[in-house]
Amino acid sequence: MQTDGARPGQVVDLTNCDKEPIHIPGGIQPHGVLLVLQEPALTIRQVSENAEALLGVSAPSLLGTPLESLLTEPQSASIRACLLSERLEENNPLELTTRAGGRERFFNGIAHRHQGRLILELEPTSGQEALPFFGFYHQARRSMSRLRNAKDLSALCLEAVREVRRLTGFDRVIAYRFDEEWNGAVLAEDRLETIDSYLGLWFPASDIPRQARELYTLNWLRIIPAVDYVPARILSLPEDAGQGPLDMSFCVLRSVSPIHLEYLRNMGAPASMSISLLKEGRLWGLISCTHVSGARYVPYEVRKACEFVGEFMSSLLVTKEGHEHYDQRIRAQSIQVRLLERMTRHPDFAVGLTQPPPELLELTGATGAAVYFNGRTTIIGQAPSDEQLQGLIDWLAAKPDPRELFCTACLSNHYPEAAEFKDVAAGLIAASMSRGRHNYVLWFRPEVVQTVAWGGNPNKPVDIDGDQPRLHPRKSFALWRETVRGKSLPWKDYEVEAARELRRSVIDIVLQRSEELLKLNMELERSNVELDSFAYAASHDLKEPLRGIHNYTSLVVREQADSLSPTNLKRMDTVVRLTQRMESLINSLLHYAQVGRTELSLRETDLNEVLSSVLEVLKPRMDEFLVEVRVPRPLPPALCDRVRMAEVFTNLLTNAIKYNDKEKKWVEIGAMGTPDGGTTYYVRDNGIGIKPEYHDTIFRIFKRLHGRDKYGGGTGTGLTIVKRLIERHNGRLWLESQPGAGTTFFFTLGSEKAEPVTEVEAK
Amino acid sequence: MNRGLPILVVEDNDEDFDMLQMTFQGVSIPNPLYRCTEGEEALEFLHQTGRYADPEQAPRPGLILLDLNLAGLDGRQVLEHLKNEPQLKSIPVLVFSTSDNPKDVQSAYAHGASGYLLKPVDLPRFERMIQLFKDFWLEHIVLPAGEAREGARR
Repeated sequence: MQTDGARPGQVVDLTNCDKEPIHIPGGIQPHGVLLVLQEPALTIRQVSENAEALLGVSAPSLLGTPLESLLTEPQSASIRACLLSERLEENNPLELTTRAGGRERFFNGIAHRHQGRLILELEPTSGQEALPFFGFYHQARRSMSRLRNAKDLSALCLEAVREVRRLTGFDRVIAYRFDEEWNGAVLAEDRLETIDSYLGLWFPASDIPRQARELYTLNWLRIIPAVDYVPARILSLPEDAGQGPLDMSFCVLRSVSPIHLEYLRNMGAPASMSISLLKEGRLWGLISCTHVSGARYVPYEVRKACEFVGEFMSSLLVTKEGHEHYDQRIRAQSIQVRLLERMTRHPDFAVGLTQPPPELLELTGATGAAVYFNGRTTIIGQAPSDEQLQGLIDWLAAKPDPRELFCTACLSNHYPEAAEFKDVAAGLIAASMSRGRHNYVLWFRPEVVQTVAWGGNPNKPVDIDGDQPRLHPRKSFALWRETVRGKSLPWKDYEVEAARELRRSVIDIVLQRSEELLKLNMELERSNVELDSFAYAASHDLKEPLRGIHNYTSLVVREQADSLSPTNLKRMDTVVRLTQRMESLINSLLHYAQVGRTELSLRETDLNEVLSSVLEVLKPRMDEFLVEVRVPRPLPPALCDRVRMAEVFTNLLTNAIKYNDKEKKWVEIGAMGTPDGGTTYYVRDNGIGIKPEYHDTIFRIFKRLHGRDKYGGGTGTGLTIVKRLIERHNGRLWLESQPGAGTTFFFTLGSEKAEPVTEVEAK
Repeated sequence: MNRGLPILVVEDNDEDFDMLQMTFQGVSIPNPLYRCTEGEEALEFLHQTGRYADPEQAPRPGLILLDLNLAGLDGRQVLEHLKNEPQLKSIPVLVFSTSDNPKDVQSAYAHGASGYLLKPVDLPRFERMIQLFKDFWLEHIVLPAGEAREGARR
């Protein structure tokens, strides 16, 4: 005969407190009997050692015998059928009568299979006193409607604890909710009036260790009718010794950890029961019942009713919790709508987000915020210094698990450097606004020195017993106030949700913007193609008839000159000349169209080389007009399109030569620095000058200031093309002039800070 | 040298063809001149099909002057077609167009044109161009021999 060995009073130190295998305690609470049966014969393979007390038969004598030997004849068959059925739990509780030791005993049998073992737990009942079905039904209906009608979360909790207390008669029933760190806060309480209230108290996470929480997720309900029990060990047949301890994860009689019993004793609770509250499959909280006036057993049917309350309440948690801050949620939504509207309207949505400032802060109830976008930071309200902020952003960016949203009420726990700016940012919500690039919206909250009412001192769960550190559950459950530093007020669910929602919308807007840009690009491409066909139409379809007119007129002039009157001959000559002029206008138009369309090839360019090649081409005309060229200093290099810049210089220099009536003509080409570190280039002449009223009109296409044939003629497109070329380089062209004394054309080349070329074209 | 060779002109504009014909006469080009006004028609001529099923009516040209802008199948497509035909691809094609669009020039040469001439709006220049065409293509250039003889026989 072997025992798994219950270990009452065993020393549990800090290293194994979280690892204590509470699902295999090796014993049970002795208010019932546990049997492990072998199918299909239902032979008893294991039994708790308290069998004799409850069944009247000694445990060792039961091992190896069939279950039927315990039962009365008439039930045998039906019990066997129930136990062997596939879904045996549906038959719980089995009403069993035993007749061992010469007297009838009544039990509720609770059966389940786990890890291939059939486990039957017997709880004595005082007779056939089970709650009739209709009783349960009416109870349940009443509970359901009360819970469902609760207007919000706290009302729901209150209704639940009242229901459970009414069903069970425990002295105190509380509902509490776990926070992110598994500390529990009491939300509702129903109690005997003579005992102290726990309402509003916090219980530290260490009160319910991890593996207990795991069991709480598997089972709806646990009960300890009497904390001072002596565990009944499980006995098994010697040949089963190798099978390992029995996993009692789903056993109602499972003996609980001695630490927990001590905890209850310290709390002054001789009996307890707890019901799990799950929200979306995760342990959300507990309904915890304690009894101060002695042991308290709760029969199976009543436990089922309590389970039902817990399960039904769990199903309502999502909706009721959603109603918790209904007004605030509505307000956050309307702020959200306004922010979005402003963001979509504003080309720079960082600006849209931060103006006017209070809205972004109100969204999450923050006191400060920073919008960090494409390397630019916009700050509103109270925020860390630029340097601290940069450090924080670097830290966020380097986090190994970059989450969409990082949220904490105590930043210095995660990022120790935050301690130095806890007066503005002890709490942080960081919403990452794009993948890959590190763009964030950050919300800050200052440190608030908070007072938390703990049920006892949470920092002293360990006592030293002799020289052994021993995990003693807290002895004091009196109110213990703790002052918390380095923490901000916690971010409420709806505040975090608002941040998450904003993040989603911003990303949508960014996506939408890039889609718009794509659409714009496609339209642009199409319009470029159209421009191409326009250019072709201009060059071919317009020129074709023109050529006909020209050629035939020329032929007439040549062959019929004799028969034409001098006036008509002159008119025919004019027709010929006009056709040629028209052709050059068409060519200029075509050229202008091409300037806007051709892609620039931007390179670091030596403008001196460009200039000297232009001067070489223009040399014959320079010589003819006796123009002196002055280049006082070499030109600095520039990022530009070499060919296009040659065209700019050619046009400006040609104008300088053409529009000059001085005897000693000169033209000067130079560059000068601007205050913002850029360069302004100029082409200066001592020509005829341009009156101020024409400073704008000279850039209009086909605009000429002088008679068609004065100053060597021309189509009037030169400056228009220069201006367009400079603008294609993201530069600016302007002039200063004194009529009669000369003109200076200035231009800049902004290509370095250029926006994408397509955007320029889109204008 | 290439005097007997027929010249095919693909040109939809009557005035342009009129001027060309006049100028050819003016500079005394003796070669027989054939004209098609559409791309399809030009291909029929070259393949001696459809309207040109009679070989007498459509001799194999020694040189083609091709306008780019044509109704229907345009000059670019005609060029592509005939440069893909093993029997036709050796006939030199001179593009004769108004368009100085670099793309047109580029694609013409890429598809096997032997030259690209711009139609000027200037009668004297046009006459000079035709004179030079005569001197160069008809007096000096050696054209593919087989076809030349074949053309000369007709």
